[in-house]
Amino acid sequence: MTPAFEPEALSWYEGSARQRIAALVDPGSFREAVGPEERATSPHLALFDLPEQFDDGMIVGQAAFKGTPILVAAQEGRFMGGAVGEVHGAKLVGLLRAAKSLALDVLVLFDTGGVRLQEANAGETAIAEIMRAVVEARLSGSRVVGLIGGRSGCYGGGGLIAGCCSALLVTEQGRIGVTGPEVIETNRGVEEFDARDRALVWRTMGGKHRYLIGGADRYVDDGPEAFRAAVRDVLAAPGRLDLATLDAEQARLERRLARFGAARDATDIWSALGVAEAPAVPGLSTQAFRAVALGRESAHDAR
Amino acid sequence: MRDWATQKAARAARIAAGASFARGKVVQAADLAPFLEAVLRPGDRVCLEGDNQKQADLLADALAEVDPGVIHDLHMVQSGIVLPSHLDVFEKGIARRLDYSYSGPQAARIARMLYGGQIALGAVHTYLELFARYFIDLTPQVALIAAVSADRDGNLYTGPNTEDTPTVVEATSFKDGLVVAQVGEIVDRVPRVDIPGDRVHFVVEAGRPFHVEPLFTRDPGSITETQILTAMLAIKGLYAPYGIRRLNHGIGFNTAAIELLLPTYGEKLGLRGQVCTHWALNPHPTLIPAIEAGWVEQIHCFGSEVGMDDYIAARPDIYFTGADGSLRSNRAFCQTAGLYACDLFIGSTLQVDLSGHSSTVTTNRIAGFGGAPNMGSDPRGRRHPSEPWLKAGAEADPDTPAPLRRGRKLVVQIGETFGDGNVPLFVERLDALALAEKLDLPLAPVMVYGDDVTHIVTEEGIANLLLCRDPDEREQAIRGVAGYTEIGRRRDAGMVARLRERGVIRRPEDLGIDPLDADRSLLAARSIKDLALASGGLYRPPSRFRNW
Repeated sequence: MTPAFEPEALSWYEGSARQRIAALVDPGSFREAVGPEERATSPHLALFDLPEQFDDGMIVGQAAFKGTPILVAAQEGRFMGGAVGEVHGAKLVGLLRAAKSLALDVLVLFDTGGVRLQEANAGETAIAEIMRAVVEARLSGSRVVGLIGGRSGCYGGGGLIAGCCSALLVTEQGRIGVTGPEVIETNRGVEEFDARDRALVWRTMGGKHRYLIGGADRYVDDGPEAFRAAVRDVLAAPGRLDLATLDAEQARLERRLARFGAARDATDIWSALGVAEAPAVPGLSTQAFRAVALGRESAHDAR
Repeated sequence: MRDWATQKAARAARIAAGASFARGKVVQAADLAPFLEAVLRPGDRVCLEGDNQKQADLLADALAEVDPGVIHDLHMVQSGIVLPSHLDVFEKGIARRLDYSYSGPQAARIARMLYGGQIALGAVHTYLELFARYFIDLTPQVALIAAVSADRDGNLYTGPNTEDTPTVVEATSFKDGLVVAQVGEIVDRVPRVDIPGDRVHFVVEAGRPFHVEPLFTRDPGSITETQILTAMLAIKGLYAPYGIRRLNHGIGFNTAAIELLLPTYGEKLGLRGQVCTHWALNPHPTLIPAIEAGWVEQIHCFGSEVGMDDYIAARPDIYFTGADGSLRSNRAFCQTAGLYACDLFIGSTLQVDLSGHSSTVTTNRIAGFGGAPNMGSDPRGRRHPSEPWLKAGAEADPDTPAPLRRGRKLVVQIGETFGDGNVPLFVERLDALALAEKLDLPLAPVMVYGDDVTHIVTEEGIANLLLCRDPDEREQAIRGVAGYTEIGRRRDAGMVARLRERGVIRRPEDLGIDPLDADRSLLAARSIKDLALASGGLYRPPSRFRNW
């Protein structure tokens, strides 16, 4: 007898930032900039007696994707939950500026809970600089693609940056949001949001829901091969950002608010989208889910 | 002349007093508090059913609502202090004395109340000890129990979580005590009769299932590579050489890692069918991949596990099931099975001292024992031989002639040298001793005594205490696997090296294990979702464990 189920070799959810990059781009093609050997560590963490990491939880560099040069950034969720600090943020800003001057597309592998509390001012500034750099890169014609499927999700400032991307790819385990579950519970009470109810967290912020309401453009399996295929797809589409796209995005968000603003739970939204058995959605396999998701809200017209 | 049936008369009086609140045997939930005031007497010994899993929660809440002016000084004799209401009865003066076994979720509050003198503590027991005392000197006068459903005659269906109920009812009902059951619903015909109706005097419909805690679910996503390494050591260094077929696993991520390595690492070692075939074990979701891969012949369970019911019902060759198809668990029988019919117990703990004593007590928390000290002890009354039992006995006592030599059950403590929050596993002095001094207890709450422990497994290796010939060797064997803890760093390096030459200490490399191979890709399931998929969708994990 053989096991009924065999997990894949590398789980995106479990992998490290470096494992993800290595498995995503053409084999052996990644060249890191400001690597660990340069020891660009946080200038703040030592003040709090906290451990530093030589890459400050952000890995940036150039690689080839299907033979074409591309820039890649990956957050290391295992270091401080992928939280954004001064150096961490500056490395991404630099990469995005390079994208503009080199006219290359960028892949951002998100895995972050938001800004690092220990260097909050520097971190918040970094988020603003990153958002500006994303927009400038896009205005110059580069595409900035966000890949979301790590343990820490894509929260706080990470969620804001994701909102500026050309396209977002998300797995079932991936989560996208600004305010995280625990913060909502702390501020608004457990009646408003029970952060320990993981099924609630995932059906409110998880990949399936974000894909259904148009908060992500591709829904992918938890492995590098699935991400590779989806990246190839979205890079085939032209990148553009102008007033017309922003108007369309505004209209889309207004429409979404009008349609679903009164919903109490994600399952209400799914029912309104025409999903016959909304409560069954979390348990659906990828294939079955794609079938019920045909009537989903359109993804960003702005992207 | 002496009246030889005073207890029968007392029970008849209780039934008569309760009958005014009942239609037949059925009492309305709204009348529970006055009903309990009518059937209870001050000073009664009361068993309120509840252990680490199922809870008679409706009855617990009702008992906390009775008037302490009417009902007071109760002596609670119950497996678990788990719900807040279990301690509310002491705070309100309804109960005074306590004999119990497990208090995990209330560990901090019970410690405060014991220090404050609000509870007169008899003793903290193992489950099996407390059950034993139900039949000798702690027989309940009233038992408040929980079942899934009842018919109007009081026949009870306890469903997959039968657990303590038959034992409690046996002791109470056959010694002229009163049995009151809360049930989820009253039906015309119960799916199977777990408790015959003539042992049950009143039934109350809760309108909802009794509370069950998913205590035995471990998310494979949280298993670390160090835990995987300790699991590899246990499988290759203990299960294989001793040929462990009959065993019990304690709760924890180390043992969950072992379960998830059987179909991968264990398969590579060719151990399927050679080890881990017969179990005394709750329905651990992490054992699903091994069951599906054909490793397991059968499992007897203390209780059930939330979400596992459909999977169990679909695997009757593996589990004990009733005429209705669902699991039949029984804590007393399974504890007995774990004590007498298993050759190995393996579990993790919080503190181990230099004699090998271990404890889960910290000074501000009293979690009780549950079943672990019973599982984790060598039964002196055992007489049937088995290969692992004889081999361990020979290692411990090579000089006695074989026909007169006792065998030994393997009792293994497994853990990382630094546990949760980087707290060292190894200590000079157990916190349990400080607690005993503070509460003036005659016994420190030791979970597993050093003389019962046969092996300690950490990421640094396996210490075989059976091969130690004196207390010095024993101490150095423990220090020798204690890593970079204070205890480990103060080892006698020369002596540890000699112990390693004798095989008393075995490092990963001595067993042909490369620590770099301890990778999460070795786990047969890496998430709760993988477990659900491995079960073919039959395992339905509770909401709190789902990340989808």
